[in-house]
Amino acid sequence: MPGTVFGFTEAQIASFGLTVGLGGFILFMLFIVFNLARESKAGKFGTFVLLLVLSFGMLGFLAKSVIKWFVE
Amino acid sequence: MNEPHAPPPAAPAITVTSPLRWLALGWKDLRANPVPGLLHGFAAALFGVTLMWLADGHFWWLAGAFSGLVLVAPVVLVGLLLVSRQAQLGQRAGMGAVFTLWRAADPRLVLFGILLALAGTAWVLLSAGLLAFWAPQPIGTLHDFWAHVVLAPSDWLFVGWIMVGALLAAPVFASSVVTLPLLLDTEQPLPVAVAHSWRVVAQYPVLMVLWALLIALMVGLGLLTGMLGLIVVLPWLGHASWHAYVDLKRAGTFGLPGSWGGVQ
Repeated sequence: MPGTVFGFTEAQIASFGLTVGLGGFILFMLFIVFNLARESKAGKFGTFVLLLVLSFGMLGFLAKSVIKWFVE
Repeated sequence: MNEPHAPPPAAPAITVTSPLRWLALGWKDLRANPVPGLLHGFAAALFGVTLMWLADGHFWWLAGAFSGLVLVAPVVLVGLLLVSRQAQLGQRAGMGAVFTLWRAADPRLVLFGILLALAGTAWVLLSAGLLAFWAPQPIGTLHDFWAHVVLAPSDWLFVGWIMVGALLAAPVFASSVVTLPLLLDTEQPLPVAVAHSWRVVAQYPVLMVLWALLIALMVGLGLLTGMLGLIVVLPWLGHASWHAYVDLKRAGTFGLPGSWGGVQ
């Protein structure tokens, strides 16, 4: 098919790249927050709250991507 | 509870893979004595389906009832902790033992259930406020929530909503992660049990985040299967949370390893 790469359109590749890229970025943020919490000695409970909130955000983002992919 | 005289068994190491061990042990308990667990799961799923039917078109009633269900579930599942506990003591407990536990209406358990229900109510009120501010349109029905929050073109409404939920859930999770098994296993008062629970979270923050994520993921999948998955997921988690408590207790997390409580 003309205008496609391996059968995917540019829009599909961009959307895929954005999803994976954002997912990776969130993972990187999780690592940064974990490091910050450790180095700043935010306290163990502070670390727990920071990690919980960010990882639930990541889970929500992934869940939304998967649900949208299923629905569409 | 009885003070056993046998020496405590070797403590398993608490690592980031421990939640998988708890799930494996919980699954073993569910398979060995499936009737109480599946009855609990079936009752919860039936309750969920009835709610969907009754509250159709009243999203906030539905959200309130579901948040309540998820937050109060640990108290509802206390009978399964008893089943796992008795299995560990070499006894088989059925629904008769679970009913006896409920009829006893331990005031510590009742009070804890009320506190969890209040936390659920607070979450629904906050959630309604947030979505009223953030959502592009009023959210009145489940369809509105699905169309304008879950499937919204922008990711940030849904993700932000989940993150605020996690912020509110953090103290609730910290207060309840081992509280119920501890109350069941010992005569400790509620505030002491809750303090032990917070100590667990402070000692193993990464592990507890992983445990919370696993619980949320499993319950989420159970909800997405139209409640059917909850029939297995809820009792599985109930049994697994008993083993989480026992492993943490054996590891000395509560400060007094093997010196009190029924199960060593």
